[in-house]
Amino acid sequence: MKQLFSLLLATTTLLFGKPLLGAPIELGASVQLTGQFANTGRYYGDAYQFAIDKINAAGGVKIGSTREKLVLKMLDNQSDVNLSVRQYVQLVSQDKVNFLLGPFASDFVLADSAIAEKYSIPMIQGGGASDQVFSRGYKYIFGTLPPASDYFQSTLDLMGQLKPAPKTIALLYADDAFDVSVADGTRKAIGKTSMKIAVDQRYSSKASDFNSMLSLIKSQDVDAILVAGHETEILNFIRQSKTLNVNPKLYAFTVGVPSADFRAALGQDANYAFGMTSWVPSPALKDDYFGNAEQFAAEYQKRFGYEPDYHAASAVADVEAFVKAIEAANSVDPAKVRDAIARVDFDSLYGRIRFNAVGQISLPQTVVQVQKGKLVPVYGPKGAMEKALYPMPAWGKR
Amino acid sequence: MKLASTLALSVVVVGVLATVPWWGSAVLVQFGINALILATLAQSWNIIGGYTGYPSFGNSVFYGLGGYGVAVGMVQFQLPFAAGLALGVFLAVLFAFLLGLPVLRLRGHYFAIATLGLAEVMTAIVSNLEIAGRNIGLILPLLKGDTLFFELSLALLVITTMTVAWISRSRFGFGLIAIRENEEAAAVMGVNTTLYKILGFALCSIFAAIAGGIHAYWITYLDPTSAFDITLNVKMIIMAVFGGPGTIFGPVLGAFVLSAISEVLATKVTSLAGIFFGLVIVAAIVFMPRGLADLVRRFRQQGWRYFQANIQAHRV
Amino acid sequence: MQLLWQILINGVLLGGLYALMALGLVLVWGVLNIVNLAHGALIMLGAYACYYLFTGFGLDPFGALPLAMALLFCLGYLIQRCVLNLVIRAPMFNTLLITFGLEVVITFLAQMIFSADFRTVNPSYAGANFLWLGATVPLVRLLAFGVALGLTFALWLFLDHTALGRAIRATAQNLTAARLYGVNPRQLYALTFGIGAALAGAAGTLYGVVSQINPYIGSGLTGKSFAIAIIGGLDKSIYVLVGGLFLGIVEALTALYIGPTYTDVISFGILVVVLIVRPTGLLGRTA
Repeated sequence: MKQLFSLLLATTTLLFGKPLLGAPIELGASVQLTGQFANTGRYYGDAYQFAIDKINAAGGVKIGSTREKLVLKMLDNQSDVNLSVRQYVQLVSQDKVNFLLGPFASDFVLADSAIAEKYSIPMIQGGGASDQVFSRGYKYIFGTLPPASDYFQSTLDLMGQLKPAPKTIALLYADDAFDVSVADGTRKAIGKTSMKIAVDQRYSSKASDFNSMLSLIKSQDVDAILVAGHETEILNFIRQSKTLNVNPKLYAFTVGVPSADFRAALGQDANYAFGMTSWVPSPALKDDYFGNAEQFAAEYQKRFGYEPDYHAASAVADVEAFVKAIEAANSVDPAKVRDAIARVDFDSLYGRIRFNAVGQISLPQTVVQVQKGKLVPVYGPKGAMEKALYPMPAWGKR
Repeated sequence: MKLASTLALSVVVVGVLATVPWWGSAVLVQFGINALILATLAQSWNIIGGYTGYPSFGNSVFYGLGGYGVAVGMVQFQLPFAAGLALGVFLAVLFAFLLGLPVLRLRGHYFAIATLGLAEVMTAIVSNLEIAGRNIGLILPLLKGDTLFFELSLALLVITTMTVAWISRSRFGFGLIAIRENEEAAAVMGVNTTLYKILGFALCSIFAAIAGGIHAYWITYLDPTSAFDITLNVKMIIMAVFGGPGTIFGPVLGAFVLSAISEVLATKVTSLAGIFFGLVIVAAIVFMPRGLADLVRRFRQQGWRYFQANIQAHRV
Repeated sequence: MQLLWQILINGVLLGGLYALMALGLVLVWGVLNIVNLAHGALIMLGAYACYYLFTGFGLDPFGALPLAMALLFCLGYLIQRCVLNLVIRAPMFNTLLITFGLEVVITFLAQMIFSADFRTVNPSYAGANFLWLGATVPLVRLLAFGVALGLTFALWLFLDHTALGRAIRATAQNLTAARLYGVNPRQLYALTFGIGAALAGAAGTLYGVVSQINPYIGSGLTGKSFAIAIIGGLDKSIYVLVGGLFLGIVEALTALYIGPTYTDVISFGILVVVLIVRPTGLLGRTA
């Protein structure tokens, strides 16, 4: 029996270059470990490795009667889209990884997912939420970030409950795939409320000077400002709103607020800002490998020296989704696993993982607010949570 | 005699390269396509920078226009690839004539900066054009299989190099070289400097545009930053300068050598790849500013003193 | 009307900061004929110097300014002495390429040493502002404007009225003649580049207070500095004030009346137009 098994192993190795059984399962990823997106890219790099280590420690992936370990082959794309595309081709065709994990940022995902589709290798990514990623009819790409167009929905719901109700909104957004999707969706959502858009401005992703927009907002007497952009811009925005003494009743941002070094860079000025996260490290989110989200956050902080946020949690979910799919399909055949991914439905530290028909997950955003330096959830999927501090006191009165 | 042997060798090399998609790994093919496109860009720069002596930092505009021609043509107008390429070339040549005319009146570093400015302006303009998908860019239809792209890139490089070879022996080429050496004297001798410069610029634009079009279709994704990539400008210049500007094979050699080293670093020691490029530039400019071609030729006579001689000639 | 006035104030103050950024570039370009593509990277280093002096030693940014300038001066001196002096008599294009290489190296090293996290310099008065004739004037930007004026004036004084300054200008005009007068060109070039780097350091220090710092801000700032240098003109250091103000006001107006995504189109468009029509800049003498 044993001899037969060895013979079978040898034959499959000879025929397929990689033994079908009895070999570690390789996950390939090209992540922004250096370059201008590195400070978010690192969440993915560290989380992928962390998840794989945890799963291996628990015995690995169960296929048939054996358990296989996971191996991560990660490359640094230096925040260069063209390089990341080339690296994914290398991972697929030279390193012959079994499956792909995605990079951060919709721009990267848009380009890299084309490789997954071209070579028919499933890719699960937690970095790209723009609508375009999922509107091309691709079959091999799945995403664990909720759709961009829904990002401000919870915030708008919260605003509907605040007193005195905000009436006018300024909508500012960067001109990249993700933020434009957010803005389009938000515009529609605002249209369904009684609030009006007073300022609707698209700005260049590389902008560091918001003075003109802030001056315009100030002159229009706007109640609420919604900004869809990148951390660096939002940081500049908040600082410049202080120096120009712009005092809306509320301002909310798509990114930045949940991350610790963002709040550290702003110090006191971060107070009262609203943000959103599809994930809070709550013990209610149970996980097969990490116990629960709170434990995960503590261990992550201990191992890597910084707090995880939804990027990291989403990355962990990607790895776990692959494991569940491989186990359900009982094979590493790309087509079978792809079908299994489309059918997964399980709970993880990130939330419930289940992909819709186009491959996207659906997770409501929790609105958070910075109160006295701490991140406080104020509005979640089940409605109001802690009390929101509203309206925001003027800069001079804090 | 030398011509015949060079020709024979080239034919053999091209023939072997053409078969790569059938026996090479997918990574090799991919590397090949990148290197071939970069070599074409370096060679096209050679025409205006190496032969004519006008260091253009704007070839990325032609590259980007070629890419957008293909993208807009295929995505917005459902044209076939060849038609998209034609559109891209048309846009690039138009740009070369319209903007070449005022900009080619400038000299030396003013010309370089003007072309750099043009590259920035085009990026900014295209990122505001609705038809080009603004800053988000366009997603092209997916074509499985790299063989077509490899062969096209190879053919493009061959044609570009043959053009450069023709230039080096033609009256047109001598005119360009005369402009490089002493423009006033060339004008006095009867060379129509304006016409020649514009034609050189336009020739560059054609090859750069086709290269851009092929690249866009291959990557299936195009946005203003990657289409008009400013660092691409410097890369193609470095490759041409490293290989030997004003020679026929220099830029090709430079492109392949630098691409190979860069690729190895990017895939094996990824953290060093970024700094490698910068260090190579600094070292090359200090020790071998006239390129590999010159190095190969002079090293035989001078040996290691070649490097020292270069420094002595250029230091203060 | 109120809004327009505020925008103009914004533009003028932005222009002051811009002028400060371009000052070092203009000096090195106008005097040494070196087109320094690493200029933005030096500004970035100045910003980090201020950051570490502020967070490490509690030094107020304006107090840290001279220190940051001194640090950058030493770096600039070394760069010129050890690297750029070796290629300075080569075709000018070569220095352009080599400074690009330096930019890549400096940015990469900065990321390795400082990490990609972004930083801010947040003194207690970072958000201070006051009302003037109906417009809100941020204090720090006003101070930066003042520093720009002061340094421009100081530079002019230095170049025109000190022996060293005259020696620098003489060497730039005629190397051989200057040598005959006993000037040591290697030393002099290095000093000049060092001063240019010090000015970049000053700009970086203030930049860190109004914006945020990360290793990648360099290339964008280099581009802007170029536009300002060309638009103003390279002949006299005071022209950079004009160039900076012009660009600052135009950008502020563009952002409001045309759209924030068009500022680069306008900035670089003007750069190209000025180069084509008046290469010596708005104020420079016609060549």
